[in-house]
Amino acid sequence: MRRLRALLLRFCGLFQQSRKNAELQDELDSHLALHVADNIRAGMSPEQARREALVRLGGIESVKESYRDGRSLPLLETLLQDVKFAVRMLRKNPGFTCVTVTTLALGIGANTAIFSVVNSVLLRPLPYPDSGRLVTMRSNQSLPDLEDIQAQARAFEAGSGVTFQTLDYQASAEPLQIDGALVDATLFRVLGVQPAMGRTISSEEDRFGGPRVAVLSHPFWENDLGGDRNILGKNLRLAGGSYTVIGVMPGGFSLPQRKADVFLSLRVFYPEAAAARGVHFLRTYWRLKHDWTLAQAQAEMQPIDRQLEKLHPAENKGRQTRLIFAHEWLVGDSRPALLIMFGAVGMVLLVACANFANLLLSRAISRQQEMITRAALGAGSGRLLRQMLTESVLISMLGGLIGVALAQLGILGLVALKPANLATLPAIGIDRNVLFFAFAVTLGTGLLFGWIPAWSMLARRDPKLRERSRGESSNALHRQLRAILVVAELALALVLLTGAGLLVKGFWRLRAVNPGFNPDNVVTMSIQLPASRYAEVPRQTQFREQVLDGLNSVRGLKAAMVSEVPLGGSWLSHDFVIEGREPIAPGDEPSLQSRSVMGDYFDVMQIRLLSGRNLSPRDREGSPLVAIGNEALARADFPNRSPLGGRFRWAREDGPPKWITIVGIAADVRHFGLEQPDQPAVYTPYAQSFQPWKRWMSLVVRTPGSLGTVLPLIKGQVWKVDSQVPLTRVHTMEEVMASSMAQRRFTLLLLGIFAGVAVMLAGVGVYGVISYTVNQRRNEIGIRIALGAGRKDVLRLVLLQGAALTGVGLALGLAASLGLTRLMRSMLFSVSPEDPVTFGAVAFIMACVAVGASLIPALRACGVDPVTALRYE
Amino acid sequence: MGKKSDVWQGTLALMVLKTLEYMGALHGYGIARRIEQTSGDLLAVNYGTLYPALLKLEQEGYICSEWGVSDNNRKAKFYSITRAGRKQLSKAAQEWEQTTSIIARFLTPGEESR
Repeated sequence: MRRLRALLLRFCGLFQQSRKNAELQDELDSHLALHVADNIRAGMSPEQARREALVRLGGIESVKESYRDGRSLPLLETLLQDVKFAVRMLRKNPGFTCVTVTTLALGIGANTAIFSVVNSVLLRPLPYPDSGRLVTMRSNQSLPDLEDIQAQARAFEAGSGVTFQTLDYQASAEPLQIDGALVDATLFRVLGVQPAMGRTISSEEDRFGGPRVAVLSHPFWENDLGGDRNILGKNLRLAGGSYTVIGVMPGGFSLPQRKADVFLSLRVFYPEAAAARGVHFLRTYWRLKHDWTLAQAQAEMQPIDRQLEKLHPAENKGRQTRLIFAHEWLVGDSRPALLIMFGAVGMVLLVACANFANLLLSRAISRQQEMITRAALGAGSGRLLRQMLTESVLISMLGGLIGVALAQLGILGLVALKPANLATLPAIGIDRNVLFFAFAVTLGTGLLFGWIPAWSMLARRDPKLRERSRGESSNALHRQLRAILVVAELALALVLLTGAGLLVKGFWRLRAVNPGFNPDNVVTMSIQLPASRYAEVPRQTQFREQVLDGLNSVRGLKAAMVSEVPLGGSWLSHDFVIEGREPIAPGDEPSLQSRSVMGDYFDVMQIRLLSGRNLSPRDREGSPLVAIGNEALARADFPNRSPLGGRFRWAREDGPPKWITIVGIAADVRHFGLEQPDQPAVYTPYAQSFQPWKRWMSLVVRTPGSLGTVLPLIKGQVWKVDSQVPLTRVHTMEEVMASSMAQRRFTLLLLGIFAGVAVMLAGVGVYGVISYTVNQRRNEIGIRIALGAGRKDVLRLVLLQGAALTGVGLALGLAASLGLTRLMRSMLFSVSPEDPVTFGAVAFIMACVAVGASLIPALRACGVDPVTALRYE
Repeated sequence: MGKKSDVWQGTLALMVLKTLEYMGALHGYGIARRIEQTSGDLLAVNYGTLYPALLKLEQEGYICSEWGVSDNNRKAKFYSITRAGRKQLSKAAQEWEQTTSIIARFLTPGEESR
C-alpha cells in the first residue's frame, strides 16, 4: 500500500518539475541560512561559517540530484524527454514523418487484416464446449453404418450425423424454401449445446414413425417467426407436413458446416433414405473420450470397417474410415491459401520495414553532426541508442495505429469481396488476439528496424568523433547497409510479383477455357417440387411438361430442365454396370454421373451432340429407356467401340434389371469447375425416371435480350402451372461461371494488391538510395561536367549504379521465387510454378520500375551546376 | 566513516521519526542537528543525505511538511510526524529492539570467552 502510494506520488513528480525544483532550492537555502547563523553564533567569521555549512551539507548539486531521482521516476522521465524530443523532430520533418508512417501503416495494416482472418479461421476454436475433442470422418456415412459404429466404437462419448435438405415452408401466400438439418438426435449431445427454449429431440422421438417435432434455430425463430415467445407447441407447415415446435436453439449456435433453420429427426422426416445402408449422406461428428487419442480411435476403427465391409459388401466395399479433428476438417481447404496469403503479406511488411530502415538511415546521416555533438557533450552510447530507438518506435507506433484503422477498413473489404463459398467462415474482426499481434508487430518493427541505423551510427561514431566527415570512406558502411536493404526489397517485391503473375496467367487460361456450353443469355433457377403433391414421377412429368410448354410458346424463349447445372456445385452419381461385361463384385462397380433432363437441354445450352440422336419427347414413360452419354464415358468405358447402342443399368436398383440404351454422345462440359475435366456422365429423360425422390430441377432458359424484362415472364409461366412452387437461386449462367471462379479471383486480387504495394515500396526504396548517392556525389558529378562529361555520360553513371542494385535484387528474387512458387502449385491452373514467360515478364516489370525510380535522380544529376557543386566542396 | 555510515543509512528513517515524535514539528536543519547531538556526535555525516530520506518518508505518508517561520524568524520547511508515522515508528522500534537483543545474545558469549 505504502509502496504504491509512494510510486504514485513519484509518478506525479513527473509534472510541475520547475516549481518543485524551486521549492527544494528554497529549503536548502533556508537550511544553509540556519546553519550559517548557528555557526556565526558559535564564533566563526561569516565566510568561515558559510564554508563550514556548505561542507557539512555535502555538494548542493549532488543532494539535488539524488533528491530529484527520489522525487520522480528517472527512467520514465528520460523516456518522456526522449518522446518529447522525438515528437519535435518528427514535426520538424513532416515529409519524412509522412512517408515513413504511411509505409509502415500499409505494411502493418495489411498484416493485421490478414492475421484477423487467420485468427478467426485457423486459430479460434469451434464454438462448442471442449471443441478440441470433436472429431469427424473424412467420408460420409449412412444411418445404419452410423448406428453400427455408435454401438461398437468405445473411443467416443457420443457420435451423431446430420444431412441437409431445403424444405418448403408455407407460412403465408408466398412459398419459401428454408434450410433443414436432418439429424440423429444424439447430435445435440455431441456438440454439447442446450436449447435456449424448450428441449431438443429425444431418443424416444427419434425413431421410424416417431412424432413430427421440430427444433428451430434462433435466427429463424427471430426473423421468420417474429421471436414468438409462445412458439412451443405450435405447428409449422414444412415440406407438406405439420411439425410441432419443441425447442429453440440459442443465438450463437450454428452447425459446424453450414447453417440450418430447422432441425428434424432424419428417421421421421426421411425414413426411406434413413433406412438405406447405401445412402452415405451423413456428415458425422464424434466426441472423443478424454483418455483416448485420435490415433487410438483411428486404430479402433479398423476392425469396425472390416466387419461392416464383410457384412455389407455392396454398400461398404473398400471401406476406410479416416478420422480427423472437426476444426481441421472444416478449415482444411482454406488453410494452404491462407498461409500463402499470410506469407505474402509478411513479405509486404518486410519490404515496408526495409524502406523504413532505409529512410531512418538517410536521416541518421543528416543528423550525424547532431549526434557527434551530443556525444561530445557527454551522452553515452546507451543514451543515444535509446533516443534513436524512441524515435523509431514512435514512428512505428503511429504507423501501427493508422495500420489498425486501415486493417479495419481492409476487413470490411475482405468480407464484402469474399466469395460466397467462403460464407460459412466465422465472423472476422479485430479482437484481443489481433490487437496483440498488431502491437507486437509494431513494436518489433520499431525496435528491430530502428536498431539497424542506430547501430550503424554508433558503430562508427567513436573513431570519427572529432573529424567532420563528408568524405566517401566514412559513409561506406551506410552505403552498404542501404544497398543491402534495397536489394532485399527488390527481391521480395519480385517474389510477390511472380506469385501474382502466375495467378494472373492461370486465371487468363481459366477464362479462356471452353466450358462446353454457351453461357451467354442463359438464365437458370432452381425448383424443388413439394413431396406432398408431387410424390409420383408422372405427376412431376406433367408439371415439367406444362412449364416447358408454357415457356417455349413465348416468342424468343427456349427452355429446358436439368437436374444439375454445370458449375453449379452439385452432382449426383450412381454405380453402374455395362451389359455384356465380366460381372463385377458388388461395391467395386465404377460410378457414373447421373443427370436428368427434360426438353431439348442440349439445344438450349448449345452443347454439341457428337453422334447418335438427341432425346425427344417420345422418350417417355413406357417407351424403351434411353440415355445420352458424354465423351468422357465413351473414352473411359467404351475405349474400342462406339458406345451407341450399348446398354447399362444402375447397380443398386430393386426389381428386375432395367437396361438403358445409349443413343447419343454429347460433348463434355466443365461440370465441376473450369479447371477440371468432366467425369463419365449420362443424361437421361426425367420422364423415364424411377427415382420419384428426384423432385429437384434447374430451369435453363435461353433468352433473346436482357434478363430484367424476361424474368417476371418466366416466373409467371411457372406459377401459372403451380403457384405454390418457390423459384430459388436465380442466376445467369455467366454468373454461375463467375462464381465458380470467385475463390481464384479473390486470391488473385489479394496477392495482386500485395504485389502492387511491394513493388511501389521497392521503387521508393530505389529512388531513395539513388537520389542519396547523387547528393553524395554531387561535387564529383560537377567536376565531371566541368571536365566535359555530357548529359549521356552522367545519366549512364547514375543509372549504372541503379542497374547494379536492380540486377542483384532481381537475381536473388528470381532464385527465391523458384523456391517459393512451388508452394502455390495447387492454386495455379495449367501454369507451371516455374513458368519462364511469367518469370521473364515480372523481371522486366520490376527492372522498369527500378530504372524508372533511378531515372528521376539521374536526370537531377544532369542538372548539377558545376560551379555550385565545386563551391559546395 | 564506513560502517558507521551504513548504520546511519539504514536507521536514518527511524531516527527521523523518533526525533519528530519527541520534538514535534521541526525543519530539516533542526532534525539533522538533533540527531547529531543525540548520537553524541558519533554519527557525523553530510546533512545533505537527510533530504532524500525526508522525501521518501513523506512519499510514504509517515511525515508531512509545511512551510513556516523558524525561532530566529527565517522561512523554513517544517516536518511533523503523522499517525501512520507513529504506528510505523512503534513497529520499527520494536523490530529494532528485537534485532539488537538477538545480536546482543550472540555477542555476549564471545565477550565471556575472551
